[in-house]
Amino acid sequence: MEGVPRRGDQGRRQRVVTELPDIADVQARADRVLADELYWFPVRHHSPAVARHLQAAIRARRPKLVLIEGPAHASELIRHVVDSKTRPPIALYSSYRDDDNVLGLAGVASPAPDIPARFPVWYPLLAYSPEYVAMVEAAALGAAAVFIDLPAHALIDPKSWADADDEPRTRETSWEDIAVETTFYRTMARVAGYRSWDEAWDALFEIGHRHADHEAFRRDLAYFCGAVRATTPAARLERDGTLPRERFMARAIAAELAARGLAASEAMVVCGGFHIFLDRADPVAPPPTPAGTCLATVVPYSYFRVSELAGYGAANRAPRYYQAVWDHRGDQVAGRSGPPPGSVAEGQVAGRDWVDEPWIGAMVDHVTAVLGRGRKDGERLSSADAIAVTQHARLLASLRGRPAPILDDLRDALVSCCVKGRPEEEGHGLLKAMTATEVGSAVGRVTPALGRLPILHDFHAQLDDLELGEVMGRDQRLLLTLDLREDQGARRSAFLHRLRRLEVELGTLEGGATGDGTRLFREKWRLAWTPQVEPQLIERNHYGDTVEAAALARLEEDVAKAQRHAGETARLLRDAVTMQLPHVVRKLAGAVAAAIDEDRRFASQAEALVHLLVLDRMAIQRDLGRDAIAELAARAYTRACLAIGEVVGVPPEQQEPTLAHLKALAEAALSDTQDRALFTAQVRVAAAAATLPFMQGALAGILTELREVTPEELAQRVAAFAASPPARMVLAGEFLDGAFAVSKTSLLLGADALIAAIDELLRAAPWEDFLVLLPRVRHAFERLHERQRLAFADRVAGRYGVGEEARLDELPSTSAAAAVYLASLDARVAAIMKDWTF
Amino acid sequence: MTQPTDILREPAERQFASQLAALAQHDPDSPPSSWKLSPRSVLAYVVGTPKPLVLTVNGKSVTVPITRKFFGDDAIVERAIVTLASERALLLVGEPGTGKSWLSEHLAAAISGCSTLTIQGTAGTTEDQIKYGWNVARVIANGPTPDNLIPSPTMIAMRTGALVRFEEITRCVPDVQDALVSILSDKHIAVPELPDANMVFARPGFNIIATANSRDQGVNEMSAALKRRFNYIHIPVVGDQKTEIAIVRERSKELLERYHIPGRIEEPVLDVLATVFREMRSGTGADGQTFAKPSTPLSTAEAIGVALDAAIHARYFGSGAVGVADIARNLVGSVVKDDLADLAVLREYLSVVAKKRALKDPTWKAFHDAATKAVASAS
Repeated sequence: MEGVPRRGDQGRRQRVVTELPDIADVQARADRVLADELYWFPVRHHSPAVARHLQAAIRARRPKLVLIEGPAHASELIRHVVDSKTRPPIALYSSYRDDDNVLGLAGVASPAPDIPARFPVWYPLLAYSPEYVAMVEAAALGAAAVFIDLPAHALIDPKSWADADDEPRTRETSWEDIAVETTFYRTMARVAGYRSWDEAWDALFEIGHRHADHEAFRRDLAYFCGAVRATTPAARLERDGTLPRERFMARAIAAELAARGLAASEAMVVCGGFHIFLDRADPVAPPPTPAGTCLATVVPYSYFRVSELAGYGAANRAPRYYQAVWDHRGDQVAGRSGPPPGSVAEGQVAGRDWVDEPWIGAMVDHVTAVLGRGRKDGERLSSADAIAVTQHARLLASLRGRPAPILDDLRDALVSCCVKGRPEEEGHGLLKAMTATEVGSAVGRVTPALGRLPILHDFHAQLDDLELGEVMGRDQRLLLTLDLREDQGARRSAFLHRLRRLEVELGTLEGGATGDGTRLFREKWRLAWTPQVEPQLIERNHYGDTVEAAALARLEEDVAKAQRHAGETARLLRDAVTMQLPHVVRKLAGAVAAAIDEDRRFASQAEALVHLLVLDRMAIQRDLGRDAIAELAARAYTRACLAIGEVVGVPPEQQEPTLAHLKALAEAALSDTQDRALFTAQVRVAAAAATLPFMQGALAGILTELREVTPEELAQRVAAFAASPPARMVLAGEFLDGAFAVSKTSLLLGADALIAAIDELLRAAPWEDFLVLLPRVRHAFERLHERQRLAFADRVAGRYGVGEEARLDELPSTSAAAAVYLASLDARVAAIMKDWTF
Repeated sequence: MTQPTDILREPAERQFASQLAALAQHDPDSPPSSWKLSPRSVLAYVVGTPKPLVLTVNGKSVTVPITRKFFGDDAIVERAIVTLASERALLLVGEPGTGKSWLSEHLAAAISGCSTLTIQGTAGTTEDQIKYGWNVARVIANGPTPDNLIPSPTMIAMRTGALVRFEEITRCVPDVQDALVSILSDKHIAVPELPDANMVFARPGFNIIATANSRDQGVNEMSAALKRRFNYIHIPVVGDQKTEIAIVRERSKELLERYHIPGRIEEPVLDVLATVFREMRSGTGADGQTFAKPSTPLSTAEAIGVALDAAIHARYFGSGAVGVADIARNLVGSVVKDDLADLAVLREYLSVVAKKRALKDPTWKAFHDAATKAVASAS
């Protein structure tokens, strides 16, 4: 590691020598590998520098066979990867389905025992991924390229699922994950002042100044990886699958050479830096691959998916930025001697050919892109800022012992020069622009020769069939009104509902926050293509090969998750109907029945009832068996009625949704299809037990609506507040509010009595209590429709002898001053109520 | 290495002269024009080096440890140094007591060898103090001549290629602040009263380090034109307890030497002090309890002040050894400044957090008892 650049005080910091590997031993071991007849090239995924040197090595050596770390069962796909019509970012996609439950993970790694466990794995490839470059270069030379790695599903350890954390553990550990844990790396980072693994990597290997050619680079990286491996416990390698994979790779390499009758010197191996030290004499056999269905293909991928933001393990912190570094790799060909102008380091490394041009070109591209994006988002950023940032980044790099700025220097420079205050506050917009620009939004393309991933093929075929193709690839919204009575309307609706179930963001259903509009014959969809559509479909591929199959599998998964929740299960049944998945409806109906019988929650049962009543209405048009649905609705209704007692103690924030459920139940009770007496009896019990005035009012209102209580009786209850002590009297507003929330028509029938009661109440209330009472009374009246309010107003006017022709400002007994006062009072009440939440 | 002098507070370039000289002797790079040290050596001066350097003076060699002056993320210092080597001026912003002026002083000392070219920003700061003034009596007698001109610290810094420090820049009214716009853009000051020598051009190396309190930023918001000419570097409140203890230890040691107070503050006492400050600042105890936060910003500088006051108290009115009880007594004045409600906040902290620890830990018991007594007498 000669010449390792250090930040700050170069060479003065004390070296920590404890727990470090025996350097001579590491070097000797690496030298043996480097001198091997078989040419080993260590790589890091998604590294432009490795890709550049590997490209040079392949061109120099012209091997007949290139053995690449990639899933062995996917070697056939290499020809599609290198096809001229394929454009990264792409991914090798492998999906394993354990049809016969040989791993015993059905119900553990899948939602239910009768659903086979599925394990999808992606191997992303960017334009500057060394593995991708190796395939392309091999093809250009006419050399064969094959994958040599153990398929990921061979590493699935059923035991590790016992304490599962939801994440399928099928991705092999990257050697970088191991490297950051080693004492070697930690010590080096501490001494050199690196703040992250990425910074260390870029400073050591991406910046080209330490390596004269690809051989120097290969040697340096081999030493580095050797030191990392020497400080990694063997148990760790066994546990994370490194050793089993290496056993497979060693055998695959030997088999490929033997099968092709090639000498080792005619081939080269491109593998993770760690694996060049694999034990070729390891007698232990690699693990067998489990039986089942395995699909492998090449799929378009996105920068976002390969970035750290998406949670991908061997992530690239800035895919778009490193693409710029790769794109500028030709800049160094022009070459020149000497450090960049303006560098503080000028003159320090005289005589060395500088190879920092890709970084300078990438820096300029990146800074202008960040500032451009920031400006678009309203940040005040000028060209002068761009100049200041690039100067600052170069000076920082120089201070940190680098010949050119790396991403860390650029980030610091952008914050220094463009954020006028605290980065997380004043710099929020810029930080957002930085992240977006670093990651980028590119989506790759796969040659048509491969054929699309089945689910994508189905998706596009359906778009064409349903004449929705125009929405794809266009950055504009399309408003679509569907008539469900027409065949095409119904099929379009089912297709869009299925995509919704798969969380593929192509369309949103208009009508209500939940977008579940209960319209029977008409739906309005807002369609908009985003670059996420295909990647999202690709990610859902493991659910099935068609949109329908995937939606069905996803629905089954959701049903399994919603166990014992009557409302949720009924919603899923309704979704199954809207998605036109009739064969699952029967199965789901059973799940709904079981959930209704087990669930004891009022809200859940009432929710189930609402969904089932909607389904009942849909049943005729959708040719569903109404009897089964009616039976389920009756069961949900009964359970909900029996659970009404719960509403008595409902907390204030739950009061409104509870009222909605009560009203739905009341509606069902009034429809004569359900047992009205049961509902009435339960409401009476609850009303007697209720202590909160709001719920007392609501339950009394429902009884009025059911004609179980007359409006006059309700009015008497209001009037009773007038005769109560002040502490009780001020609660009358809440009672009225609850009553008006559920009952309007019936109250209007007894409006005169109610007005008299309210009048009595207001007259009885002392001034201070009146002020407390007023806002809630007003809120109660605001629940009414304007026409209903006017009807009440007419009765009030009549009560005070004002005819229809009279206006409020012409009231004979009201002075102008009183009118002004009333108006100001009204404004104050309105202001107070703005801050209220009921 | 700090020798007692007759000066109450020596500027950094005098106090740390031997460190600066040693770094200059061992400088691996060439300093930029007018800089006394290269950027790397400036960084080494501010963040310290693990190994001492050998300074040779008149043929004699002495070993000089390069101590850490700024505790926090080294990248902040790197960015500040690079800004000062660039076209733009530097504005250090942060909560009161986070070490902005301290960093500014050390950067000026290391880069220019002079940290005393300083303008203190106040509501009464005038443009004359930023540009230049006149000796009025002599102007009346002889008219405006270069000899009658009184240069501002800015003008002196421009002539010598040095750094000028502008403390609390946002306390100045905007018109006065804007006097800096042309200085930072054109790098010269025009003196129209002197027809033959009406321009003062800045030499290479000239730049400005300003500081602004983030609580005061809104007092006199800087104009967009001026903001553009500054790189802002935000100095956060110290991130971890270990670093805060190190800062309090180092700074209080220096201050005790300055006041000729023997002895040192022991580690358990520093630990209690740093813990109390951190917990009260965040409103959360280490054990997860939450409580009200005081209205005053409990900065590290404030903690240093408490430590020093406690040491002085112990020296003149106690046994000389600084105990947690001394810390506790002086804490009240730090926490409760202009809002008496903070007394209740301190009382809550003592009841919720300190009392629980006092049951198990005698150091905390001593602190709790003394602080409770101090709070009671202040009520």
